[in-house]
Amino acid sequence: MLIVCMSSALHRKNLAAAGPEQFTAEFVKKQIDEFEVGKRHLANMMGEDPENFSQEDIDRSIAYLFPSGLFEKKARPLMKHPDEIFPKQRAVQWGADGRPFHFLFYTGKQSYYFLMHELYGKLLNVEKHQDRLRAKGLFSSDANSMSLGMSRWFTKEELEVSLVETISTHDYTHFVQLMERLLSMPYCSLEQQFILQYRRQLEAQSMHQIVQPLQQDEKGVAYSSAEGLRKTSRSSVVLRDCGSGRVTVNGQDCHHYFSVLQDREQLMFPLQFMGVLGRFDLKCTVSGGGRSSQAGALRLAISRALLSFLSEKEGEAMRQAGLLTPDPRVRERKKPGQEGARRKYTWKKR
Amino acid sequence: MDTHVLKMAASVSGLLKPWTSRVVLVRWSRYNPYYLEPEVRKEAYNRPETELSPEDQEERQLKTLRPIKAATSGVTSSVFDDPVISKFINMMMRQGKKVLAREIMLQTLENIKKKQVERYHKATGGQKEEIECNPYEIFHQALENCKPVVGLASIQKGGKSYQVPIPLTDNRRRFLAMKWMITECKENKHRRTLMYEKLSQELLAAFQKEGNVIKKKHELHKMAEANRAYAHYRWW
Repeated sequence: MLIVCMSSALHRKNLAAAGPEQFTAEFVKKQIDEFEVGKRHLANMMGEDPENFSQEDIDRSIAYLFPSGLFEKKARPLMKHPDEIFPKQRAVQWGADGRPFHFLFYTGKQSYYFLMHELYGKLLNVEKHQDRLRAKGLFSSDANSMSLGMSRWFTKEELEVSLVETISTHDYTHFVQLMERLLSMPYCSLEQQFILQYRRQLEAQSMHQIVQPLQQDEKGVAYSSAEGLRKTSRSSVVLRDCGSGRVTVNGQDCHHYFSVLQDREQLMFPLQFMGVLGRFDLKCTVSGGGRSSQAGALRLAISRALLSFLSEKEGEAMRQAGLLTPDPRVRERKKPGQEGARRKYTWKKR
Repeated sequence: MDTHVLKMAASVSGLLKPWTSRVVLVRWSRYNPYYLEPEVRKEAYNRPETELSPEDQEERQLKTLRPIKAATSGVTSSVFDDPVISKFINMMMRQGKKVLAREIMLQTLENIKKKQVERYHKATGGQKEEIECNPYEIFHQALENCKPVVGLASIQKGGKSYQVPIPLTDNRRRFLAMKWMITECKENKHRRTLMYEKLSQELLAAFQKEGNVIKKKHELHKMAEANRAYAHYRWW
């Protein structure tokens, strides 16, 4: 929603020296109002409910109304909330008389030093509390230490976003060290809320697994299908229950297609790992790549299809065995000035 | 838990996908450092919670949170799969001919078994128990016997380079033992003997602590002992 007009007056200014473009708070607020109004217009245009028009609906409508064949996703037409487009900036830090509001303004990194100052204050607070308890004789070294659960500290980027200013890696390490020191004290649960503010919950990787739905054919036999890839091979597998362990690859028996024992071992790997060797019938199709990469693609497809027959714990075991990760290793390109991907031409002194 | 977390690289969300680095570094892998190695053996997943030590429990928890690399095409969870043997096969392989390397290994083990069984049947009652017939056991024991304890490193000091005795990591020792075995069998044989024949002879000799590879190991140890005086040149 931003109209940019270039005039000759702008060309005379030193644009590079001005730094990143500064947007005032009123400007961003105006953009937000325009965005809300435009969202409702868009919903009306698409014939949908203006009240429940979500960001995905907006993206869908824009892609429909302004189809673009550009490869770079960031160059395509986009309509997002202005908070996501305009970077967060600090309001003016000093008053009409020129005096800064914050007492640490002249350090240059006022939010960061203020945070460290607060953190140290909390540390001293906890120590004082411990001393008081020690004086009363009620101190115990393993009393109510905080349960953090599965969480991690903010990363440097996240800390920068929350402080709205840049910090160096040294500053970040210092911050983490001080937090760890606070955590190491037995009575740190006093400052639990403050600490949790700077921790982010980690979610288990198993949540990211997509399990193929289990289908049933006319006779009631359960089957599931999945696809796999490795290097340039693409495969698809139909895993049928109540079978006898027969494997068909591209219409041929697997012993005909894969004459090498290693490839057949790779096919059977997921089934052997789960101990269901004789239970399933496999019907596989594979194309592209060489002998080993086709076997790898089939292995991934079989593991994915097997997920729908297994419980979550077994699926997690398969993931930890490395069966469910698509192998990202591909052939490295040859570089100019070298004979191959890594091999250089013979070095001649003259 | 926190020590693992502290080691994490700066941006986490970007790390959860396989890494495509636009800058080509000298030694890099297609996986980003966040990924963990896969554990293929079935027994590791059957152990109940009570049997685990605190480090094992921490590792288990870490594994649920981190993405895992894909298992390579040479490993399976089958009982016939041995990581040491796989490593040896890869080292024997030339020009990418895995099929040939595997064949050689298979024939070697068969040959060892044949020879040992022959010896078993020829032996008298008391000696029969001492003869080891399992070729895998023989292979492992022979490799153990070939592993050097200390190695030599060339360190330059004051314009001259000295051979300084240094401790070796387990991986390095295993690598040296395998490399010596393979070079020995490739070079010091009659041109009509096949690789698997020579390899089985060397392995059986190493099992009895004889043979050229064991000799080479002893020579290395003697050199290290001789250069004992320069051991303080090592600074790591």
